Amino acid sequence: MDIPTVVFYVGPFGITSIVVTTWGIMITLAICCWLGTRRLALVPGKLQTMLEGLVLAIEDNINAVIPDHTQQVLPFIATLWLYIVIANLTGLIPQLHSPTGSFSVTAGLALLVFLSVHWFGIRSGGVRNYLRHYLSPTPLLLPFHLISEVTRTIALAVRLFGNIMSLELVALLVLLVAGLLVPVPLLMLHVIEALVQAYIFGMLALIYVAGAMQSQQESKKGNDI
Amino acid sequence: MNFDWTTFVLEIVNFLILVWILKRFLYQPVLGVIARRRADIDKSLSDALQIRNEANELKARNEQYLIEWEAKKETAQAQLNAELASIRESKLAELETRINEEAERRRVLTERNRHEFERLMEEKGIAQGAAFTNKLLMRLASTELESRLFIVLMEDLQGLREQDKHVIAIAAEEPGLQIKIQSTFPLDTSKRGELTRSLHQMTGKTLPIVFNTNPELISGFQIDIGAWILHANLRDELKSFGGVLRHAG
Repeated sequence: MDIPTVVFYVGPFGITSIVVTTWGIMITLAICCWLGTRRLALVPGKLQTMLEGLVLAIEDNINAVIPDHTQQVLPFIATLWLYIVIANLTGLIPQLHSPTGSFSVTAGLALLVFLSVHWFGIRSGGVRNYLRHYLSPTPLLLPFHLISEVTRTIALAVRLFGNIMSLELVALLVLLVAGLLVPVPLLMLHVIEALVQAYIFGMLALIYVAGAMQSQQESKKGNDI
Repeated sequence: MNFDWTTFVLEIVNFLILVWILKRFLYQPVLGVIARRRADIDKSLSDALQIRNEANELKARNEQYLIEWEAKKETAQAQLNAELASIRESKLAELETRINEEAERRRVLTERNRHEFERLMEEKGIAQGAAFTNKLLMRLASTELESRLFIVLMEDLQGLREQDKHVIAIAAEEPGLQIKIQSTFPLDTSKRGELTRSLHQMTGKTLPIVFNTNPELISGFQIDIGAWILHANLRDELKSFGGVLRHAG
């Protein structure tokens, strides 16, 4: 379960089934989005209404947390939500595994969140202001800030990986022990868990980014005063 | 918990590419159309608001116009009433004048008709009187009356004014003139001689005298000396009397 199969090699690099699944998700999303948005009209149809509802729901959630920078962080956070949901649900398709059941994937996503927090924080208030927030309210808290940055990133990766991996593992074990149709309720739980985990991952990433950006604003206000 | 660096790196790259794809093909188009729709809705709301404001303004203007129109109407109506009253008064005055004129004309016409009627009645009365007198005189006509009239004739000839005598003398100058004497009854010789002498004396000439009888004279004489005629008979007297009465009427 935790050992991805190498599908093919590109030079010394082995392309695993996880990466291929991710490409499939990317291609599917790209085609669906292209088909869904090529004929947008001011009076929307059913598909357009659904797409608009999805995007507006994401925008509203981001706007509730970070109203001043919604459009700035929306592509990153929304992609996290959409990708993780689809990646989580991919495990329901026979012969496929959720990419998020791989620690390599969740670690990569967590690293991206870690980097995006600093990226948006620095873009929001500049390097000096951003670094200064590590020293507030007192420089004595700097080690704790640094530890927090690392641990929360690791927690992001491990939480998503652990939940999805355990779901698939439990379903597999139940299937082996109980029979063919017994894991079906467990698959329903998989759907809920996939949605919840995607929401948690994206919301935590959003809160981290918002914390970094709003801490800059608070630092600016403190300097102005 | 196996960790594969290739998968880790490729996953980061894949995710960044996916961010670009979704931004390009999902977020931007959908948010763009939503923004356009919101802009359209805002524009529609703005237009509606503007239309409502314009409608309110038009309504207020229309109400003001109605008020002004009402005032103008009342003013025009008052002016019209005043003009109508003035015209009615002038027409009434004109009508009254015409009625008075017509009444005066009718009064004059009635008066004239009355005078005409009176004149006709008088003429009728005069004619009846003349006819009656004529009839009476014709019944009274006789030689005795003629003799009395002869006496009156002789008195009149002797009593002529000098001016009348002069006119008779001029009339007698006409060459070849005959004096014509008409009488109702034939004159006897003495009366003819007396009358001849008197006329010769009056004209100063011995003009020839012709005696005739004319019963239409009723009674009396008519003497023609050229253009000068002396009427001394009842017929001409009655005519003269009737004419005098008509002129007097």
